[in-house]
Amino acid sequence: MSNTTLSKSKPIKVQKNKRFNPSMYLAYTFLIIVSGVWLIPVIFGITTSFRSQTEVVNEGFRLLPVNWIVDNYIAILENTSSAPILQWIWNSIFISTTHTLLVIVVISITGYGYTRMNFKGRDVLFFTLLAISFFPNVVNLIPSYKIIDTLGWVNTPWAMIVPGLAGMGNIFLVRQFMKGIPKELDESARVDGASDFVIFFRIILPLIKPVLIVCGLFSFVGSWNDFLWPVIVYTDVQKMPVTAGLLLLQDVYGNYRMIGQLMGSAILAIIPTLLLFLFAQKYFVQAIKLNAGIKG
Amino acid sequence: MKKINFSPIFFVGPHIVLFLVFILLPTIFGIYASFTKWNLVGDPVWVGLDNYRTILFNEDSTFYHQFYNGMKNTFLFVLISVPLMIIIPLLIAVALEHKEVKFKNLFQTLLYIPGLISISAASLIWSLIFNKQLGVVNNLFGSEAVWASTQPYAWITIIAITIWAGIGGNMIIYRASINGVSPDLYESAEIDGAGSFRKFLNITLPSIRFPLIFTLVMTTAGSFNVFAQPLMMTSGGPQQSTTVLMMYIRDLAFSHGQSIAGMASAMAVMLGLVILVISAIQYYLMNRNAV
Repeated sequence: MSNTTLSKSKPIKVQKNKRFNPSMYLAYTFLIIVSGVWLIPVIFGITTSFRSQTEVVNEGFRLLPVNWIVDNYIAILENTSSAPILQWIWNSIFISTTHTLLVIVVISITGYGYTRMNFKGRDVLFFTLLAISFFPNVVNLIPSYKIIDTLGWVNTPWAMIVPGLAGMGNIFLVRQFMKGIPKELDESARVDGASDFVIFFRIILPLIKPVLIVCGLFSFVGSWNDFLWPVIVYTDVQKMPVTAGLLLLQDVYGNYRMIGQLMGSAILAIIPTLLLFLFAQKYFVQAIKLNAGIKG
Repeated sequence: MKKINFSPIFFVGPHIVLFLVFILLPTIFGIYASFTKWNLVGDPVWVGLDNYRTILFNEDSTFYHQFYNGMKNTFLFVLISVPLMIIIPLLIAVALEHKEVKFKNLFQTLLYIPGLISISAASLIWSLIFNKQLGVVNNLFGSEAVWASTQPYAWITIIAITIWAGIGGNMIIYRASINGVSPDLYESAEIDGAGSFRKFLNITLPSIRFPLIFTLVMTTAGSFNVFAQPLMMTSGGPQQSTTVLMMYIRDLAFSHGQSIAGMASAMAVMLGLVILVISAIQYYLMNRNAV
């Protein structure tokens, strides 16, 4: 950009800042309205969980309770037969944590194999698997159940922990990331006589930590929020994860006869992922950008 | 002389086994099952194209009506939700990337968090929002609508929760890519006297074309699998007007009565083909436009 155009543009800019700036107010108004709308359900759910059923029915719509009560939560925790919410949350924690740890093991080892090792047909194999995995997975839904059933995994955590380990998406991301690591690093180690295992653990693994964290978080939340698959593979109320459990609640709490308990259960189910997000917010943002394959 | 190196097998082998058992085998079997009569327990019996003939052409069959009704409702959902899932996050991202807007991360967090809430928990809360007597919507707007069981309200509840829960990811992608557009472009446009709208149309949109099409492909493919929102919000009603194909597939294969897994597989293959064809068209457009 030449100097003449710059000097020309300057007076215009100053004028603009002094002037009433409608676009900024427009942006703010829009953002505040949208955020408000986005918050209302959560706030309303929380406050309703602290109201008694009689208050909900008699007082009608109010944002805040007249009397704050915790009876709903006590009732929820006492109901361990038809709606064992703590058991469900624990099931979900076990499933999602185990799944995430195994995902990290599988994708780091496999990513190493496809990036740092040389063997015949390596890239052909990788891209063949990648291409197959693009096939819409609605097609393999029913046979997947049959396989899980054959393995005796229906109503066990393994039904949700293992099948997701086969996916190619995270391996693709790890591969992309590993390709950015200079070849000289492991080549010089190899010259010194280091084996693949040593190179993997000592050199590559510490360097790919960021992408593993990102994939791990995504796997955790994905597994935690999965709905269709757990609804299919779990029939035992005590064994199911929390997303599948909540589907039963509309019946358990008699279609809004116990609205406070219904809301309280939903709120309890939200807390674990929310906490995870608050601790790892920046990784989530990275994860989305990375998942999109777009550099920010 | 050549030494065989077994370590690649150790590094990629375990995943290949997982891939064969949990992706390749079930995919092939799913296609095979669509040509069979199968109850999920016994052996599939080959019936050729019978299932496809039934769901596509046999007007006397309930499966025919389920298939077309499910397909119609799925398409309806995709057609309404996908444009909103692109446009709303884009508008939010543009507003967030406005130079003078502060608290960007606070706004972003608020709008992203619903995506972390499982759809079943979100549905319980949103059912309260749309509750006839107690809900925010009817009380705020003085409406008398019975949301879940009359149309078009049933669709509105499903779309509302979908957008509420789903815009976060796309929003962050757009924010990142708008952020990456060179400020020089905007400056020179300003010199030419372009207003905010012109700048958005002539600079922002063309610059973020790739992420736009990318999110379009991903959002569309994802939306065809819609299942949880109609199940939780409307149970597919009223009169099956929100029963999507995924719900029929699950019911036919896994309901408490006799499993009709072969027929369900045929429907699943048809849905898979639709997703594949539409994604392929979108990818083609993406590659043609990516320079």
